[in-house]
Amino acid sequence: MDSGKVKFFLGEVARNFSRNTGMQMTAIGTVAITIVLLGLFLFVRAALAAVGAQLLDQIEVSAYLRPDATQAQVAAIARFLSVDPMVASAQYVPKRQGLAELRERTKGTIDTGLLTENPLPDKFRIKTRVPDDVPAVAASVRRLSGVDNVVYGQKIVARLLQLGAVLRRIGIGVIIVFFAVAGIIISNTIRLTVFARRREIAIMQLVGATSTYIRLPFICEGLLDGVLGALLAVGLLAAARAALWPRLLEALPWAQLAAAPVDLRVFAAELILVGAAIGFVASWLSVGRHLRT
Amino acid sequence: MISLRGVSLVYPNGVRALDNVNLEITKGDFVFLVGDSGTGKSSLLRLLYREAKPTTGEITVDGIRVDRLRRNRVPALRRHLGVVFQDFKLLVDKTVWENVAFAMQVTGAHTRDVMRQVPRVLDLVGLSHKSRMYPGELSGGEQQRTAIARALVNNPKILLCDEPTGNLDPANTTEITALLLRINLKGTTVVVATHNQAVVDRMRRRVVRLEDGRITTDEERGYYYLGLGQGQVLSG
Repeated sequence: MDSGKVKFFLGEVARNFSRNTGMQMTAIGTVAITIVLLGLFLFVRAALAAVGAQLLDQIEVSAYLRPDATQAQVAAIARFLSVDPMVASAQYVPKRQGLAELRERTKGTIDTGLLTENPLPDKFRIKTRVPDDVPAVAASVRRLSGVDNVVYGQKIVARLLQLGAVLRRIGIGVIIVFFAVAGIIISNTIRLTVFARRREIAIMQLVGATSTYIRLPFICEGLLDGVLGALLAVGLLAAARAALWPRLLEALPWAQLAAAPVDLRVFAAELILVGAAIGFVASWLSVGRHLRT
Repeated sequence: MISLRGVSLVYPNGVRALDNVNLEITKGDFVFLVGDSGTGKSSLLRLLYREAKPTTGEITVDGIRVDRLRRNRVPALRRHLGVVFQDFKLLVDKTVWENVAFAMQVTGAHTRDVMRQVPRVLDLVGLSHKSRMYPGELSGGEQQRTAIARALVNNPKILLCDEPTGNLDPANTTEITALLLRINLKGTTVVVATHNQAVVDRMRRRVVRLEDGRITTDEERGYYYLGLGQGQVLSG
């Protein structure tokens, strides 16, 4: 490949690209919106998955004791828990310790000094070996005498995961629609260029240019639309992350844990690859349809 | 060089453009295809450069069976052919030089070959001094010479011309005709579809006459009208 050939080819691509600036901008913008949505969706999904996994992992069963539970009953419960194979650990938390932990957790947002007496019951804090055993352990503990009530976060977690699934379905639907829109707009842009260049194309075909050679500038144009749109989207996402991330961490302290293990450079590269793929597929199909003689 | 055997062409709308055409053109020939508009001259040329496919019959061009040619082999055929049209088909936003070079560049030619070949053909058609001009700045004859230069730039063995002088005044017509003859004398097989009686009668070359898609006469040194010179037709 000599430099003259490269120059000629790039010149053809540049001419194509500058032929319908408005359409190119529309195509790039649509790709950008699509990829921003995709990026947000992937991020939210990763965050929800991480939070869900974490909550499932953290889930513990609190067995609250009746106020009138006897020492013997407490000892019997502890014995029962120590032999249950599903139980990983069980810790007796007297109500004084419970209050201290509550104070620690709320960090002064609740003024416990106003309490005239400790309202908390004594409890056992039980962790299972696997999250799936939580309901079974909870049910068996509830039957023991001296146990007042058994609470675990299963419902919250279930709802969270359900919410995640719904969001995922909506997200995928929206993204499919936007992919289709971006594809159609790129394809229309290419079609306009093909139409504007129909004389050149006719002459190329007449003098024996191969169809691959005729297609290539149009494919490059579509690729350019896709990649530029994706770059724009990655820029927007990066800017949004820089601007909103600290505030998000402040507002939702638990989100910090979910944000950990995403390599942002890999993520950006993947999004750009997706943009290139949209551009390539859309222009390939479009040119193929319009060059057939 | 060119051979048609039992070639018929029926368009999808049912029009029979060519009907059992048999024609042999040998290397170095200069052949006029004559006949009224709509008698199949353009259709015959279109079959040769595989813009259309025959409904029946065999077509061989430079050893290639064009009627059986697969789509992806068409570019290879066309690199052996130069085609010139009545309306020139030049790119108005490219200079003469660029229009001619374009035909080489899009076939992936090396730049050094383009640099060598383009000046050669521009010199042949006498347009070296106008190579930087745009088609809009040229006369009709000069535009057609540019188109001929483009058709020749890939060194085709065969030059097909569809009404090459149809848009030109008599002076430019003479000029183009002389150029085609010069090209033919260099060894290129030339096929010209025309209904320009003056050109045909002055040249006295092989004349193949088409009527309603059939070849009716084929004369070695013919006139536009069967056996008659220009003056005789006008008086008769």
